[in-house]
Amino acid sequence: MSEDRYTELDRMRFTKNTQSSRLALLAILFDVLFFVSVYKSDVENYYYTILIGASIIYNLVFLLATFLASEGVKNYKTGYSWLMIGLGVIQIARIFIIPMNAHNAMVASGPVMDTFQFIRLIVYLVASAACLFLSAFINLQKSRALNAHVASLQGQQA
Amino acid sequence: MAELSLQHIDKIYDNNVQAVFDFNLEVKDGELIVLVGPSGCGKSTTLRMVAGLEDISRGKLFLDGEDITQAPAKDRDMAMVFQNYALYGHMTIYENMAFSLTLRNENPNVIHKKVLASAEILDLTAQLNKKPSQLSGGQRQRVAMGRSIVRSPKVFLFDEPLSNLDAKLRSATRREILLLHKRLDATMLYVTHDQTEALTLADRIVCMSMGHVQQVGTPLELYDTPNNKFVASFIGLPPMNMFDVEFRDGALHGKGFEVALSDEQKDTLSAYNGKAITLGVRPEDIAEEGSITIHVATNENLGMNTLVHGDMGEGNRITAKLRGWANYRRGDNVNVHFTKMHFFDRETENAIRKEAK
Repeated sequence: MSEDRYTELDRMRFTKNTQSSRLALLAILFDVLFFVSVYKSDVENYYYTILIGASIIYNLVFLLATFLASEGVKNYKTGYSWLMIGLGVIQIARIFIIPMNAHNAMVASGPVMDTFQFIRLIVYLVASAACLFLSAFINLQKSRALNAHVASLQGQQA
Repeated sequence: MAELSLQHIDKIYDNNVQAVFDFNLEVKDGELIVLVGPSGCGKSTTLRMVAGLEDISRGKLFLDGEDITQAPAKDRDMAMVFQNYALYGHMTIYENMAFSLTLRNENPNVIHKKVLASAEILDLTAQLNKKPSQLSGGQRQRVAMGRSIVRSPKVFLFDEPLSNLDAKLRSATRREILLLHKRLDATMLYVTHDQTEALTLADRIVCMSMGHVQQVGTPLELYDTPNNKFVASFIGLPPMNMFDVEFRDGALHGKGFEVALSDEQKDTLSAYNGKAITLGVRPEDIAEEGSITIHVATNENLGMNTLVHGDMGEGNRITAKLRGWANYRRGDNVNVHFTKMHFFDRETENAIRKEAK
């Protein structure tokens, strides 16, 4: 192992995983863009079903869980990576709930959600999911490397 | 290599109050200079002028021959350690120590090595992931020092760094500063009002009063041959006893006591025959047995020594530091003699010394 690589690893003992944490916060931003855009196409009260209530509650849960995960990965906690992967999968699945259904539903004036808005929402959700996956992946890589480094240091001390 | 030269420095505030008068000092490379004096004597102001935190009203400041009188603080390559530590509470110790280098956009790996090396010197390695609030006062002060060390400045400036610590911690941290100085061999300017700190740390002491330098010298010079009454009373604990005496017939005549002088002492005081002078005697220069009687008022046992407070008659108060454990009671009489004496001119308050022939 080169000296620079060793120093990089050793640095992680004292520095936070800001890269993963910032990606998680970016995922929150994309989710916010998603939910401020998704209700725009409230054509003839299409959304006023139980779905919109669930959607709003889920957004709150997502914000909270992702923020907690961003703090967790900041400290190289691997468990939060799996939480973020789960949240990312749900973000992808959400494409097929409101956006897809609204895009396919027709009212007298046309589709409930036009194609432009539909694509925009997909982009937000995919971007949010991508940030979560990337954050989780980076954290897993770093925390494994850090754990191995700490173990080797402990081995040297012993 | 860091030599500091302060030449004829004055500090005059906007309201025309002058805090420092004609301050001159040459600090050699690797020297630890302690500025000592009572509160308000201008020592911290002088340090802040050196740091660039205060403007210099008159005079010149040179660092390694370069005039830095007008240079901004950030360009002076000096690091200052404050009394209140000035640590960032939301950052870890590691981040606090790395902060100044991060601001300079230094390579993170280089920063890491410097922080670890400093932490090792100051025994802070185990604390690097903690926040300042989780550390003791002494550890926090070490972090403040560590933050200075990582910058590898030319000059270290300490502004009463131990004042917030309790007595035991102060003594331990003082030793650490001394070790640090030996290890780094760096030029240091250290401000304190505690004469014990000054005596134990300094290569040379600058004793100040009312904005004026009273004496510059090694700790031993200031202790043994003080220039004037102020330095004599300020350096040493308990302070030097001062008595109004008259020199006549080869002896000193004070209220309630008389001291016969040696030929050398008579020679020193030859110009003062028949005149009143001030006699200074350090408490530790008083020993048991002799012709001077102390009427004991209080007795303080310090373990190795005993402090005896009393008077010699006619209200002439005296404190003696006698060897060993003694249990004198109020009203007891103790006979003592002076092993060493200092003489001061009554009017100028300057020390009276034998003129070189």
